[in-house]
Amino acid sequence: MSFRKITTVAGLALGSLVSAHSNAHHAFGAEFDANAPLTLRGDVTRIEWVNPHAWFHIEVAKEDGSKEAWRIEGGTPNTLLRRGINKRSIAIGTEIVVDGYWAKDRTNSANGRNITLANGKKMFMGSSGTGAPEDGADTGR
Amino acid sequence: MKICKLALASLLLGTLVGCSPSEQTTQQLEHAESDVFKLSGDVKHIMQWVLDPAAFGVWKSAGSIITAAGTRELAPTTDEGWLAVEHSAAVVAASGNLLMMPGRAVDEEGWKNIAQGLVDAGLVAQKAAKNQDSDALFDAGGQIYRVCKACHSVYVRGENAGDLL
Repeated sequence: MSFRKITTVAGLALGSLVSAHSNAHHAFGAEFDANAPLTLRGDVTRIEWVNPHAWFHIEVAKEDGSKEAWRIEGGTPNTLLRRGINKRSIAIGTEIVVDGYWAKDRTNSANGRNITLANGKKMFMGSSGTGAPEDGADTGR
Repeated sequence: MKICKLALASLLLGTLVGCSPSEQTTQQLEHAESDVFKLSGDVKHIMQWVLDPAAFGVWKSAGSIITAAGTRELAPTTDEGWLAVEHSAAVVAASGNLLMMPGRAVDEEGWKNIAQGLVDAGLVAQKAAKNQDSDALFDAGGQIYRVCKACHSVYVRGENAGDLL
């Protein structure tokens, strides 16, 4: 398992572009940075299946061997259910890759867009219309 | 005393009988707007001090926390706990009415429809709490959030709740 946090210049540039399309909604914009896309890989340790947003906690292994706990905000449980994700869809201990956006305060918190499972299956875990960047993650869903 | 009350009632009746129903309504509204309501805070205050804490009182009382140790349900386990949720839900419903008060309502259509939706969602949550129905409470929490999202998507002008209107 590896740790990858993509905040490269290219990523920031892309983030700058997509942020131009951001809608105004405090839920995303107040907490998360549309200019800081990231990718996290880790094992699921905790799922908070709650309103108004579900949270997925993962443990990310860093390159030096240490581990970091991250919390990933998902969409509302109702939204996730419509996407085919329920509270039992991802078992504790499952390795997932999350694409999302880093918290503005740079804590280990992110807004998740896509989850990719070990078998390559990708699921949209966010919400549309919350002010998150229109990055195509929810296209056609 | 009885005579005084009768005289007052006759006077009020006499004032109203000459009006059409719509005129009466208009007069009543004007009276209400000018004399009855006294705003004690703006929309931001209602959001931050009344609605948000009440909504979170509902949200934190329904759902599941899943870890390697098992699943913990968040629903109350005591009558007192359910009563507290019922209280929060009632405040959510009342908040919808507070948002419709003259001086807070932004427009006649969208704002009031959404605020009425908040009243409805709060009442659904209140009923669920009264029935100690955790599934219904969870669904009602989702309904409350959908109203929040609908309102913020139209009436929040910036990235923060502080930018509201």
